[in-house]
Amino acid sequence: MTGQTAALAETMPEPKTAFAERRGAGWLIPLAVLLAWELCGQFGMLPRYIVAPSRIGATWWGMLVSGELTGHAASSLFRQSLGLLIGASCGTIVGVLAGVFAPISRFYEPLVSLIYPVPKVAILPLIFVWFGLGDLSKIVVMTISIFFPTYIAAYHGAKSVQKIHIWTALNAGATRARLIRQVVIPSALPDIFNGWRIGLALSFVLMVTTELVVSTKGLGYVIARAEENLRFDRMYAAILTIAILGFCADRLLLKLRGYLLVGQLMSKDSGHG
Amino acid sequence: MTESAQVQPKTSAGAEAPQTAREPLLRVDSLVKTFVRKGVRVTALDGFNLTVDEGEFVAIVGPSGCGKSTFLHMLGGFESVDGGTMTLNGRRVAGPGPDRGMLFQEYALYPWRTVLGNVLWPLEVQNIPPAQRNTTAERLLTLVGLTHFRNHYPNELSGGMKQRVALARLLALNPQILLMDEPFGALDAQNRELLQEELERIWNTSRKTVLFVTHDIDESIYLADRVIVFTARPGRIKADIRIDLPRPRAMEIKKSAQYIEYRNRIWDLLREEVLRARSEHAP
Repeated sequence: MTGQTAALAETMPEPKTAFAERRGAGWLIPLAVLLAWELCGQFGMLPRYIVAPSRIGATWWGMLVSGELTGHAASSLFRQSLGLLIGASCGTIVGVLAGVFAPISRFYEPLVSLIYPVPKVAILPLIFVWFGLGDLSKIVVMTISIFFPTYIAAYHGAKSVQKIHIWTALNAGATRARLIRQVVIPSALPDIFNGWRIGLALSFVLMVTTELVVSTKGLGYVIARAEENLRFDRMYAAILTIAILGFCADRLLLKLRGYLLVGQLMSKDSGHG
Repeated sequence: MTESAQVQPKTSAGAEAPQTAREPLLRVDSLVKTFVRKGVRVTALDGFNLTVDEGEFVAIVGPSGCGKSTFLHMLGGFESVDGGTMTLNGRRVAGPGPDRGMLFQEYALYPWRTVLGNVLWPLEVQNIPPAQRNTTAERLLTLVGLTHFRNHYPNELSGGMKQRVALARLLALNPQILLMDEPFGALDAQNRELLQEELERIWNTSRKTVLFVTHDIDESIYLADRVIVFTARPGRIKADIRIDLPRPRAMEIKKSAQYIEYRNRIWDLLREEVLRARSEHAP
């Protein structure tokens, strides 16, 4: 009988125990790479510009304890969060309004097609001339760049509200303001979050890019100076910090998404008989 | 996005109501609806007339594409009117409004709101005080038997339960006439029958005027006081059959001789139209 069940178990695929489904399986490859990297470093097999993880870790810890990293990170995050907040808020608000009011979309749509593909970093010198070399110019670049993906996502979300959801609202006698607030925005929220997620990643990329060009403080500044002085361990420590901050921010956004979209994220098949 | 929700009322062409003992709740006069599909002009409704008295449960059956759903959407104020008038309680129908409540086949529940939140919604829109809002919503959830699911989200519910929530939400709006557009069309046979029983029970407690569009003959006879058979496009009334079955109606009524007679009669009428529609669309 045991033989029979074993044979049955063999023929039945069990996705639960499948290797790829196991918790933590996703970490396996990065860990293996890290281990190989470290071993290569220990045996002196790495070129100078690649530093072993243990040394990066040590430098990173030293910079953290001395307060150097926190200062630079705070300076970077200040610009990054302001750029993201302003850019994504404008993109979302204009996107939703364009989705609801056709004249607004007629104004913005060609503009988006025209300006979105232009790399905003390319016009950085122009922006430095207009807004100076300080924080403002960097925030402006981020704001402009982040506006587009968040606009497109919000516009698409507001455009694709189900017709019967709108009908139901109008049927109850809802005003246009209530329709936008209580039907269009909640309905577009999954799309809006996708836009914010792209905007978030973009904000970190631009945070470093703008600081690499001109800066006196920030994680990008640390990277630029470390490269000049061939202190690759410091360069990697700064990159590691950016990765950690980016990871945490993205997870935080996903948590917020899970909290706000609790009803919408539920599987449609999980219903009762 | 909301363009389709606008109705362009035409000036009434002297549609004087004839003097009757009792003015009907709903009066539809020579209603016309045309639309262009793939460059071809299609007449969905051509001079359609209908009167519905207060407290009547009227079912509309007809071959698919006959314009019965279009008519309901026009009455709801969601489709433009190309001619004729609709008067509800002496007032011209123009645009959507809370006096005509819609129930859709696709439930149209807001997935971001809980069951209770969905039922509360029309009460919030109508600015009902919070305490009264909650009492009404709880009473309606009890009526449809979903009090235990008040904090669930629609996506957690089965189709039948979703439609019961939608029904509770519709009753919360408390409209003068309930417009139901094939509300049980997406349900499986067992759930459909349960919902029919439930609707019959609920309707007996309130006796609200209902216009119920369906393609299911059994459903129409079981639920309605009057069954209106539509012709194939352009939609007109082919027959208006009064269903004299006692209420409350149990499912067993479907086995009675009287019921079967109604069923055969309506089926014959409908069959003619389905065949006609098919021969016209054949190349």
